[in-house]
Amino acid sequence: MSSHASKTAWWLPEIPKSALMRRRMLWAYVFVSAPIVALLVFLLGPILFSGWVSLHRWDMLSPVNEMPWRGLSNYSYLLTKDPVFLKSLGNTFLFAIGGVGANTALGLGFALLLNSRIRGRTVWRVLYFMPVITAPLALAVMFSFIFNRNYGVVNNVITAFGLPRQPFLSGPSQALMTLVFIAIYQYVGYYIVIFLAGLQGIPQDYYDAAQVDGAGKWQEFRFITLPLLRPVMLFVVVTNTIGALQVFDLVFATTGGAPANSSMTVVLHMYNTAFKFSRMGRASAMAFILFAIIMLITIVQVRLLRDRTYQD
Amino acid sequence: MNPKRLLSCLALLGLLLVACSSVALAQDTTLTMLTHWGTEDQLAAQQAIIDAYMAENPDVAVELVTVDFGELRTKIITGRTAGISADVYHFYHLWLPDFVNAGVLAEPPQDSLSYIDENVAQGTIDAVSTPDGQTWGYPTEVNPYLLVYNKRLLAEAGYDAPPANWEELKEIAAAITQVDDTGAISQVGVGVMPGWDSGIVHPFSALLFSNGGNYLSEDRTVAEFNSEQGIETLQLYADLVASGGTDPSINGLGDFPSGTVGMVIMAPWWRATLRAAEGIDFDTEVGVAEIPVGPSGDAPSSIAYTWLFAVDSNSPNKPAAWDFIHWMNAEHEAGAGSAIGDFLVNALGAIPSFDHDQAAFAESMSDHYVSAFVAASAYARPEQIVAGGQEIKTLLQVEIEAVLAGMTTPEDALASVEMQANAILEEQRMMAEE
Repeated sequence: MSSHASKTAWWLPEIPKSALMRRRMLWAYVFVSAPIVALLVFLLGPILFSGWVSLHRWDMLSPVNEMPWRGLSNYSYLLTKDPVFLKSLGNTFLFAIGGVGANTALGLGFALLLNSRIRGRTVWRVLYFMPVITAPLALAVMFSFIFNRNYGVVNNVITAFGLPRQPFLSGPSQALMTLVFIAIYQYVGYYIVIFLAGLQGIPQDYYDAAQVDGAGKWQEFRFITLPLLRPVMLFVVVTNTIGALQVFDLVFATTGGAPANSSMTVVLHMYNTAFKFSRMGRASAMAFILFAIIMLITIVQVRLLRDRTYQD
Repeated sequence: MNPKRLLSCLALLGLLLVACSSVALAQDTTLTMLTHWGTEDQLAAQQAIIDAYMAENPDVAVELVTVDFGELRTKIITGRTAGISADVYHFYHLWLPDFVNAGVLAEPPQDSLSYIDENVAQGTIDAVSTPDGQTWGYPTEVNPYLLVYNKRLLAEAGYDAPPANWEELKEIAAAITQVDDTGAISQVGVGVMPGWDSGIVHPFSALLFSNGGNYLSEDRTVAEFNSEQGIETLQLYADLVASGGTDPSINGLGDFPSGTVGMVIMAPWWRATLRAAEGIDFDTEVGVAEIPVGPSGDAPSSIAYTWLFAVDSNSPNKPAAWDFIHWMNAEHEAGAGSAIGDFLVNALGAIPSFDHDQAAFAESMSDHYVSAFVAASAYARPEQIVAGGQEIKTLLQVEIEAVLAGMTTPEDALASVEMQANAILEEQRMMAEE
């Protein structure tokens, strides 16, 4: 063991002997400490505080030091006695499954089309991406009219074909699926762009070699495109899942969870619980349960997609 | 830069900022008033009141902040948590117990309490007081609910008078509703207001009371809406849906002014909207009637809710804030009414709480619309306020909407809310004892 190692712990920096270097080192630590402090104060601090609040009953109005201790009762209430939370959890999963599945399949499909030599490729790309940059509130208002039971365009079209009028957003069995459709419309353009970037990163040489070997279009897709797109697929699936499990604005602006909580999602229920019912402890517990679920799903997704990527 | 020099500069800058802000504070008192009256006309009317006050009190500046009603409670809560709360709040009295329990509100000064006692009916004072008798602010609008109907649609359906009981209500509603060959509803008999807790629960309560039922027990310790009268009331909703007399896809709040809804149970503050509506003529087509009486009721009844001006307990300017509230609500010249009374009656169409305003603006309240609500305010039962009341109200709203959507029965809906409501009331009692 060196004499230096015996004097300082492994995690402590070596102190320079020169005064100039010591001063520079001091300033370096001053600058590095700023983002670290910001991270602790604005990210880790609120998370820890939220965890602490989840063990209490707090109305956000009383002083923090007077919060009554509730232990794990907020968690047990949510998991055993709150039908709205369980309902919203189920709705959120359905929303995520529908949204992620459709966005991934459609995003990849449209990206393949836009990656080919079709006419007006740039125009199509712009058209698909436009909903991504549209304000969610504007989309919500627009689709509320489009899907209106009595005068909406969609109902006018389907009744013209002799089909029965549908309630869509005002129907308990259709509201959630209609929201999934709107979410797909809103975000598929973003995933098209991501997949397109991935497709354009695959060297043409692979396809040329495959064609020399007599591979067809399906075989090229199956054995070249899909394997090489797995890192992109991982990004799309993970980020889309996280976003879908945290859906709030679209539901808030269209149905508000109605009718009768049939389109209630976890984050909207969390918002209502915190700000409408002044139950910040219970809302914080919801946040931690959702965090655990998202983390678990993300780990599974990363393991499934990452391992196969490495194998390839 | 030398670190010592840098620190010195920062310290000097900090001292300058503190000194400047201290000077600014010493010069003026700035009050912030938070309300939910946010339309262009309402903003202009409120600003005129503020400007008049500031002209008389040049050392006080008043800033007006408005948010939509749906965000008002959130704004109050987050503002306090962030340490940027308003000095003066105008809020819905159902939230009063929660705010009082959390120490949000400052007690009014004695002269304000005396003024309120002398000029407001006891029932309205009770609506802005806690059970210990403490009054927490100046009551403003009193809003009873009545049946607002479209005379033209009733006449076209063959009826020249509004329904007096539930059988007539169901019959007229079904007769008004029109559905085309494709199933599109072009007009509906009774408009409900899904998605808005007051728009669902207040009309339900008005019907429940007109059927002889109760919302909470008299001591407000248990829910009483899950009764025979309550189930009959919710069955009325199910019957109306089954007969086509109502449909949740038609929203009474938005569609009545467009002339496609026959009847809605609503409050007086809707007058400004109805006057400006293009689908219905306010003077000749809008009618107001008492709430139809249910099979278990013996006389029309209703529910009335109230709002109040109060001061935040954290306000550094409490005396100035109370002075401003008093100035807005007091009558400065005999027979002229108060500034807020004028605003409530003429900008909103609401009924003011203060006797002097009801007298001063009697003429403005004598039209066929508001006069009916003034008469109803004499017998309407005040909304029972209790800690956790907002949560109970939302639970009831969701279950009523579930009945409207055919997802549950009236019995199951009310049993479910009763159980949860009683748990909330029990929890609030235990917290009060802790």
